[in-house]
Amino acid sequence: MNRRMEEMLRHVEEPRGLHSEKCGRPCMDGWILLRPTSSSTMGFWEAFLNWLRSLFFKQELELSLIGLNNAGKTSLVNVIAGDGYSEDMIHTVGFNMRKVVKGNITFKLWDIGGQPRFRSMWERYCRSVSAIVYVVDAADHESLPTARTELHDILIKQSLRRIPLLVLGNKIDKPEALSKAAFAEQMDLKSIKGRKVYCFMISCKDATNIDVVIDWFIKH
Amino acid sequence: MAQPLVKKDDDQEEEEYSPFLGIEKGAVLQEARVFNDPQLDARRCSQVITKLLYLLNQGDTFTKIEATEVFFAVTKLFQSKDTSLRRMVYLIIKELSPSADEVIIVTSSLMKDMNSKTDMYRANAIRVLSRITDGTLLTQIERYLKQAIVDKNPVVASAALVSGIHLLQTNPEIVKRWSNEVQEAVQSRAALVQFHALALLHQIRQNDRLAVSKLVTSLTKGSVRSPLAQCLLVRYTSQVIRESGTNSQTGDRPFFDYLEACLRHKADMVIIEAARAITELNGVTSRELTPAITVLQLFLSSSKPVLRFAAIRTLNKISNFMSDIADEFKIVVVEAIRSLCLKFPLKHRALMNFLSNILREEGGFEYKKAIIDSIVILIRDIPEAKETGLFHLCEFIEDCEFTYLSTQILHFLGNEGPKTSDPSKYIRYIYNRVILENATVRAAAVSTLAKFGSLVESLKPRIFVLLRRCLFDSDDEVRDRATLFLNVLESDGTVGESVKDVKNFLFGALDVPLVNLETSLQSYEPSEEPFNISSVSKEVKPQPLTEKKIQGKKPSGFGVSSNGVTQSVDTYEKLLSSFPEFSGFGPLFKSSSPIELTEAETEYAVNVVKHIYSGHIVFQYNCTNTISEQLLENVTVIVDASEAEEFAKVASKPLKQLPYESPGQIFVAFEKPDGLPATGRFSNLLKFEVKEVDPASGEVEEEGVEDEYQLEDFEVVAADYMLRAPVLNFKKCLG
Repeated sequence: MNRRMEEMLRHVEEPRGLHSEKCGRPCMDGWILLRPTSSSTMGFWEAFLNWLRSLFFKQELELSLIGLNNAGKTSLVNVIAGDGYSEDMIHTVGFNMRKVVKGNITFKLWDIGGQPRFRSMWERYCRSVSAIVYVVDAADHESLPTARTELHDILIKQSLRRIPLLVLGNKIDKPEALSKAAFAEQMDLKSIKGRKVYCFMISCKDATNIDVVIDWFIKH
Repeated sequence: MAQPLVKKDDDQEEEEYSPFLGIEKGAVLQEARVFNDPQLDARRCSQVITKLLYLLNQGDTFTKIEATEVFFAVTKLFQSKDTSLRRMVYLIIKELSPSADEVIIVTSSLMKDMNSKTDMYRANAIRVLSRITDGTLLTQIERYLKQAIVDKNPVVASAALVSGIHLLQTNPEIVKRWSNEVQEAVQSRAALVQFHALALLHQIRQNDRLAVSKLVTSLTKGSVRSPLAQCLLVRYTSQVIRESGTNSQTGDRPFFDYLEACLRHKADMVIIEAARAITELNGVTSRELTPAITVLQLFLSSSKPVLRFAAIRTLNKISNFMSDIADEFKIVVVEAIRSLCLKFPLKHRALMNFLSNILREEGGFEYKKAIIDSIVILIRDIPEAKETGLFHLCEFIEDCEFTYLSTQILHFLGNEGPKTSDPSKYIRYIYNRVILENATVRAAAVSTLAKFGSLVESLKPRIFVLLRRCLFDSDDEVRDRATLFLNVLESDGTVGESVKDVKNFLFGALDVPLVNLETSLQSYEPSEEPFNISSVSKEVKPQPLTEKKIQGKKPSGFGVSSNGVTQSVDTYEKLLSSFPEFSGFGPLFKSSSPIELTEAETEYAVNVVKHIYSGHIVFQYNCTNTISEQLLENVTVIVDASEAEEFAKVASKPLKQLPYESPGQIFVAFEKPDGLPATGRFSNLLKFEVKEVDPASGEVEEEGVEDEYQLEDFEVVAADYMLRAPVLNFKKCLG
């Protein structure tokens, strides 16, 4: 148990450090640093084989983004898809489906509305996905308890057993945003058992750690 | 699962109509799991949705859980870019109509589609969205809907307008804000958009009488191109007319000119609509009505059944219409109804009612005869219509001024009535004739009673009572018939007549041509020797061809047999079996219509009728001598069958004499392979001896000269071996 938590924290720690060091161009550098295999050390043959593989083994990953309303799910999807960040967003009434291609991997992103009336339907769109992404507004202290209950409520569903979970604390650009440790504590991530749990702190507005998220997607 | 599958196969063997026949809800719901596949097969998904839609349309219902499962699975299909699959997704969402709190999940996706570049997405998303939306959401999307109404693409505009019509029921205050856009759409070039826009605009304003009147005033000036919109406008116009009433000063109706102009519109539907509007006007005058009736009459003879039907329906509504037009037109109406009814046997009830209603009205003989003929034909061809039809006929003879029609109906009743489920109910009508009518009708009624008595054993004692009463009738013929039938029916074999003989006597057709019988009777002089019916010639004098054609077109209703073909075969069969040479050939299968073997207006006119038997074929040459100075003797036809190898000549029946303008028949019989449709070509030569005749005195010269006359060839073809069968319902035949 402890070991896993440590592992998780290490995952989280690494990008945090990156961000603080290379504030200017976090995306590009982080990308290369985190994927040493794609650098020049890779041999020509390996590259060729990868290209061949990409022809025959196009991978498709299905991910569900859930979380309370106004947590920033749709913004995250837009940023991942390369559409950029926009302040002017409306509530998602229902769901958005986006397909994002990164390399030879296609992500199917189900972005489900977070208003209370949609929360009972989250489960239907989380079945049989590769991972559940739970987005939380880390700067909204009032809604954190609700976010925690909703998260723990959905995780007890039988149909979602063993599906890896990624919890994202969004809006860390705001001064009142929690630190990662406090956030993990508030969300009671320790108590989650029977699945892999990861936690990153991100900001869609500043595009902080978005690259890390994408990288995580690819790895899982 | 095994059982439904087996059943499916069985069904498919029996009839192969629908690819969806025998599909089971359970199986389809299983199939719907493909919606959740990570790799979507768009084609397969479309097929499954089609099956689901089929089930829903067949009245199958899904439980709440089933519908919810399918719905959420379907929402996942929004990930596919396949346009035809998306179209199916829209449809199934509308059909499943899940509960409001669930269906809201697709809102975002639909809003995205509503602003997509694909017109099909836009149009359909608008339609679905307006179905699932609520007031708050509507204010959010209102902007898009208003835009869509004036969209360049007519499909999108129509979708938005139709949505507006639906939304007007739930959110009138929002839709009313779209008036400007809708008004713009009324001027659209696209027919459908114009139609939908006009409908919506009218609905928005429908409670404002002045606004509707203004709308009609501006549009009747002629900016409406779409025929459908024009029909709507006609309706709105008649509404305005109804509400405004006639102009008291001039007596003119406002907008009547417009309606009348619509009668000359290019599109049939506008004409019908305008005619209907005119006929429904309050206190319509005959001057106003005449042009409408004229166009409707034109439609009655249209080749399109739909137009005939619409015209009849409209005309039906005018209670006084049938009494307004001349009998000839009425007959056209009746004939139109008859052909309609034969084409749509299921509608016989309504159409039969129409016939019986007009039967009660005033009318001349030809008109009534046309109606009666129609009813008889309908009874003959549509078994379901039999009982009601007979009942209408019975009702008609209760008050019928035409002796001919009464006797014809009584005869028909005698043949058909006993075969119905309750023959006794007709007896009253028939016996009423014996009490109330003239001698001719009375006599016919007596015969009909006898037919009932012979066929329906349970009625026999009552029939006897009635027939005995007829013995006191004032008319000879009636008394004679009653006596005769009483004896025949009471015989019980004592007179040596079997039941079969009785039936033959009652129902059999006269086996000698009436014309011949009449001539023989006229030439009969009272003497010791009684008149013998067997001495009457059975040879049929062919009628001139033109006359026959007319007969063919209008088949007489009063046939004993079920169709016209066998009727003529009957006559021929009687004729042919009277010759010993042909009596061994068995039953006659078919007789062809006459084929001309000479040019018109030649010296000798010859045509041939092919009589087909199982193992033989008989050619009947009908010859006419058109030269008044000649008498032909020993007339034969030399048939060369060298181009018909399978045929062998077995008998020939030449004609002794062929006087001027008195047709005669020559028969030549061939043997052919039994039961096989052998074909071949036959060339013919007419051989005879000519004797000069003095046309003035009629004297014939002693000496004759041998001569021959070349006739045209003819062929025996495969069609000669086929009978025409009237088929009303192909499905029944297959079954």
